[in-house]
Order: sequence, then structure tokens, then C-alpha cells
Amino acid sequence: MSFVSLNIESPTDAPVKLTRRALAKQRTRERVLSAARRLFTERGYEGATIRDIAQAAGMSTGAVFASFSDKSELFDEILTADYEVIYAQMKQAGVNAATVEEGVIGMFAVAYGFHVEQLPLLQASIAVSWTRSETAERRNRGHLKHIFALLNGVLTRGVERGELKTDADVKLLAEIIWDVYVANYRRAIFDAWSVEALLSRLSDQLKVILAGARA
Amino acid sequence: MGVRDEQKQATREKVLEAARDLFNETGYEETTIRAIAERAGVSVGSVFTTFASKAEVLSHVMDKRLGELYAEFDRVVPFLRGSTADRLCSIFAIHYEFETRRVKLFLAHIAASYSPCPDPGVTPYGRNERLTQMLREVLEEGVARGDVRSDFDPQLAIDVLKAAYAWNYRLAANRQASATELSALMDKQIQLIAEGWRAA
Repeated sequence: MSFVSLNIESPTDAPVKLTRRALAKQRTRERVLSAARRLFTERGYEGATIRDIAQAAGMSTGAVFASFSDKSELFDEILTADYEVIYAQMKQAGVNAATVEEGVIGMFAVAYGFHVEQLPLLQASIAVSWTRSETAERRNRGHLKHIFALLNGVLTRGVERGELKTDADVKLLAEIIWDVYVANYRRAIFDAWSVEALLSRLSDQLKVILAGARA
Repeated sequence: MGVRDEQKQATREKVLEAARDLFNETGYEETTIRAIAERAGVSVGSVFTTFASKAEVLSHVMDKRLGELYAEFDRVVPFLRGSTADRLCSIFAIHYEFETRRVKLFLAHIAASYSPCPDPGVTPYGRNERLTQMLREVLEEGVARGDVRSDFDPQLAIDVLKAAYAWNYRLAANRQASATELSALMDKQIQLIAEGWRAA
């Protein structure tokens, strides 16, 4: 998700006829990614080394480095793949909603539904997002923009429909909603809250956030 | 306190101080228990007789810092004036002023709050009852004064305020935003929520 890397603006490669060599390379990549996903989930980001990942994938450390420049690139690739799975669904939920609440809750229902299923990976991604290098963080912020664009869209349509005041600070509202959405994951992590419990809390919090902005 | 206890206490203090500085200078993940022991001038073994893990060291470093901060608040809060929103702005401004002195340490504290640790005595960000309690008192006083709607659930506002407060530290991490900038942003967020809780 968001705190994550998504390169959806990067141009997709034109379909090329894969040579046997290229196919083998792609299979190696996939094997590394699947081993890495498993280890990051089990041990967290810091706990999984490239050496462990190579071993789990049944290949040499050198072979891993032939596909990925470092661990953070590997991690980003996994999060990007996850993000791409849910972004389209979040967009759909946001765009098709009849009210602001339906849009916001719909979007985050997709996200909570996906991430609560694989909490350890999410925890690793959040922890990394707070302690990353500046370059990684810059990349990360570029990615967050896409989610905020969806959220801003939901709120702006609320203004257009006359649901929210015309002078509502859409950008600030989106930020606060996002903050609360991320903070709520602690309830899932520490208190084993279900997706339904998270959404019901988010819905109550949303009422508090929007109360002053309603037309 | 016996000599033995005094020694133990002294070791503890030295370890916490060394860890606080190292976490802030080099980062939490990058700091090893060995490095903490070295800086504190104690053996690795004696760190482990006092703390179960690095996560517990971090938690105690923050506990100690927050203990000092909240002692200060006990003095200040009774003298806060103005609307509920104004009072909250002051409370968070004091927090930013305090925590931006050691930004990296605080970021590690927030990062850790998403990774539960089985060790005893670990209090992650978000579980600190003192902050929650302080915010609750200010909001409840607001209800009593008629400044905050009486049908308003303080816990939801506390959720929102704490989430915004923590997330704003990203600006300190990414753009070296000052305490003043963070407070200015928090003020806007508080004002926005306050529009919803003001008594009609």
C-alpha cells in the first residue's frame, strides 16, 4: 500500500518475445520474490537477510543480486505487487460511491481486507517506512500521492454534491483520514481486531473528522 | 538501597542514556546492544541482566523521557487557558518542541509501535495512558464549560488527534521540519476537528 512503492506511472514494457534465457531469468526472479515474501512475513524486514532469502530460494547470493540490487529493492517489489492488486479495487470503490462515507469506507475496506490477512508483512512495511533512507522515502512519498488522489477525489465529489461545504479543506481532511486509517492497524496488531471492527471504528472516526466540514 | 541495588541502578541509567544517544545518532536498527554497552562503559552481559531486548531498552528510554515531559505537563496543564482547541494546540506544541530535539529516537518509537514485542515492560506509542488521559481531561473540561458538544465521544477525537500528531513527524523526518512547522500543521488539524465538536 501507500507507504509502499508503486511504480504505476512507469511505462509498461512493450510485449517482447521471451527468449529461453529471459524466461529463465524471470523464473529466478519469481522464485526469489516468493522466498522473500515468505521470510519477510515470518521474520520482518530486518530479520530476513539476502543470504537467508537466497538459501530459501535454493540459489546463491550472487544469483539474487543479479536480479535485485539490494534488499530494499526486493522488499519494494513485493509491496508494489500487493499494491497493484488492491489499487484498482480501491479506485473502483472510491469512484462509484454515492457519499463521502461510502467512498472512504469502501476504499479502506479493500485495504484492511487485504492487509489484515497478512499483517506481519504490513508491520514490516510500516516499520521500514518510518526508518527508511531519504531516497527510499522520496520514492515512497511519490507513491502515496496516488492514494491521496483517490481520497481527494472522493472528498471533492462530496463538495460538488453539496455534501461538504464548498470551502472544506479537502487536502487536510484527506491527510487526517489517512493518519487514522494507518493508526488503526495497531488495533489489528495488538488487539486482533477484525476487518469489520476496524471499519466500524473508522466509520465513527470519520464522522468526527467530517462533522465540521458538512454542508 | 543496598550497594548492589545502587550499582544496578547506575548501570541502568548509563545504559538508557547511551541507548538514547545512539538510537538518535545512528538509528534504532543500526544500533546493537554491544554498541550500547560500549558507549555506556558496561559489559554486554550487564545490559542483558537489566533488559530483555533492544525493544525493551527503547521502551524504557522513551518511558524515562516521557516521564520527564509529563511531570512538566502536570505543572503546566492547570494554567492552560482559552478554548478546548487552544489548549490542545498548546499541549501538542509542547510535545513537538520536546520530541524534535531527538527526532530519530521518536521515529524509532513510532516504528516500534507497529511491531508488538513479547518482552515485559514495553509500552509502545499509542498505548501511553498519560497522553490519552491528558487529552481526555481537556476534552471533558470542554464539555463541562459548554465549549464541546456533550454528545461528543472524546475517545474518537483522541484517536484522531494522536494519529495526526504521530504522522506529522514524517515532515520532521523527510524535510527536517521544525517544531514550529509541525505545531502549525497540528493547529490546523485541531481547528478542523474542533469545528465538528463545537457546541451548536
